[in-house]
Amino acid sequence: MHPIISIRDLSKTYESGFQALKSVNLDIYKGEIFALLGPNGAGKTTLISIICGLVNPSTGTVTAGGHDIMRDYRAAREQIGLVPQEITTDAFESVWANVNYSRGLFGKPKNHDFVEKVLRDLSLWDKKDSKIMTLSGGMKRRLLIAKALAHEPDILFLDEPTAGVDVELRHDMWRLIRGLAETGVTIILTTHYIVEAEQMAERVGVINHGEIILVEGKAELMRKLGKKQLTLELHAELTAVPDGLADFDLELAGEGRKLVYTYDTQKERTGITRLLAELNAQQIRFRDLSTSESSLEEIFVSLVKRDA
Amino acid sequence: MNLRGAQAIYLYEMARTGRTLLQSVLSPVISTSLYFVVFGGAIGSRIVEIDGVSYGAFIVPGLLMLMLLMQSISNAAFGIYFPKFVGTIFEVLSAPISPFEIVLGYVGAAATKSIILGLIILATAWMFVDVRIEHPFMMITFLVLTAVTFSLFGFIIGIWADSFEKLQIVPLLIVTPLVFLGGSFYTIDMLPPFWQTVSLFNPVVYLISGMRWSFYENADVSLWVSLSMTLVFLALCLTAVWWIFRSGYRLKP
Repeated sequence: MHPIISIRDLSKTYESGFQALKSVNLDIYKGEIFALLGPNGAGKTTLISIICGLVNPSTGTVTAGGHDIMRDYRAAREQIGLVPQEITTDAFESVWANVNYSRGLFGKPKNHDFVEKVLRDLSLWDKKDSKIMTLSGGMKRRLLIAKALAHEPDILFLDEPTAGVDVELRHDMWRLIRGLAETGVTIILTTHYIVEAEQMAERVGVINHGEIILVEGKAELMRKLGKKQLTLELHAELTAVPDGLADFDLELAGEGRKLVYTYDTQKERTGITRLLAELNAQQIRFRDLSTSESSLEEIFVSLVKRDA
Repeated sequence: MNLRGAQAIYLYEMARTGRTLLQSVLSPVISTSLYFVVFGGAIGSRIVEIDGVSYGAFIVPGLLMLMLLMQSISNAAFGIYFPKFVGTIFEVLSAPISPFEIVLGYVGAAATKSIILGLIILATAWMFVDVRIEHPFMMITFLVLTAVTFSLFGFIIGIWADSFEKLQIVPLLIVTPLVFLGGSFYTIDMLPPFWQTVSLFNPVVYLISGMRWSFYENADVSLWVSLSMTLVFLALCLTAVWWIFRSGYRLKP
């Protein structure tokens, strides 16, 4: 499958000498939701800004839909819509004029039916004649999405779409993004909320210190790097992990009433059988047991730590 | 060519003007009227004719230039500075639109607004004094050239400025003195010889002189020198704008 966005050896050093990106290579495929996950200052916004034409790259190439973003910038940019991180809108214009302006800017002929549909889909139709300054924060964010969609892009960049947004609004935003993806738009979102990547993305790229540390299908990532924990609820309290169990990665929790065993799902032997046999031999009885997988958050923290 | 993009910027900017009509049209008209009352009426009545033209009529081309320069610069500077300031410039920079088309939109709108204002000021002048225009074609040429050139100059200031203070500093500290000392209210030969020579280094002298020639056929410097200097300044501004977009100066890190 041909990538819709192809990034090769992309680096960026700002005038201050700060190297925001170090030789980034990344392919993004048509129709997917890709999450670029990284802590603040990792280089996410720089990467997006270069692709969208807001920042000049130092070295490397990017193609969007097969068009080089520098040499063939018109064809490349026609396909791209950008929703920036900051809410940056005019104040005195009406919603309708502002969204139509965005469409015109991208060279598209007037199409009131299409703009109406975009505004309806984003629940902004009622507000079409309102001045932008009268909109709530959530509406302004939706307006930015409407503006980015006004020229019918194939690729949509969402830079931290839910930063500083309350829980309810965040869920609305996720629903909205999924709906967009269903229409065939390729979506690249940056986030430092792991739960967002976990909820939304099909593939996740982890970026830190300007380098892509890893790109993986979300399920694959969870499976590969995921650790599991077995929690045993004990009948009797323990004050310390018994000596005979020192070989196992065990922790006492719940004031000595829980024994937590962390194991690697990738290993051939998880050690569970041996642990249970050993517990039996030492006559440590338990009432209940449960297992849990590590979340993307834990995976992420371990990756970023490893990288540091 | 993405002419639709240029048109979108142009119409958007013109709509902005439309929203602030009272401020953008009424204030220059009022200040021009004040100039006519003070200089044309009160002081002008005590001044003899200059080159066969009454003082009130004599200051019309200079006043027109004064307003044209100030308005072109401030319109264009604000037009590009504001999206930079609030951040909405990202949309223009990420659109499939060339620097030429961006300039066409922003500078075209600023120049259009100044030309309309110039015509309104001229109409206002007519109400106070007897204005005659000997060379209407030349007058329109100077009007358009000056509006475009100084809108470009304003565009450059708007890109350069990173604070509202800087946005004001060039028009206030440089352009206003240059216009006042450029012969808006007098002819250069009224000055002592030393200051006459100094005045020749003031580019605005050439603009006002050219405009006055198109009205009354009298000028401080030859018409062709005026026209050439205007074109030289236009070329300088175009080069600066070209460099700005090429280097991404203050637009793209």
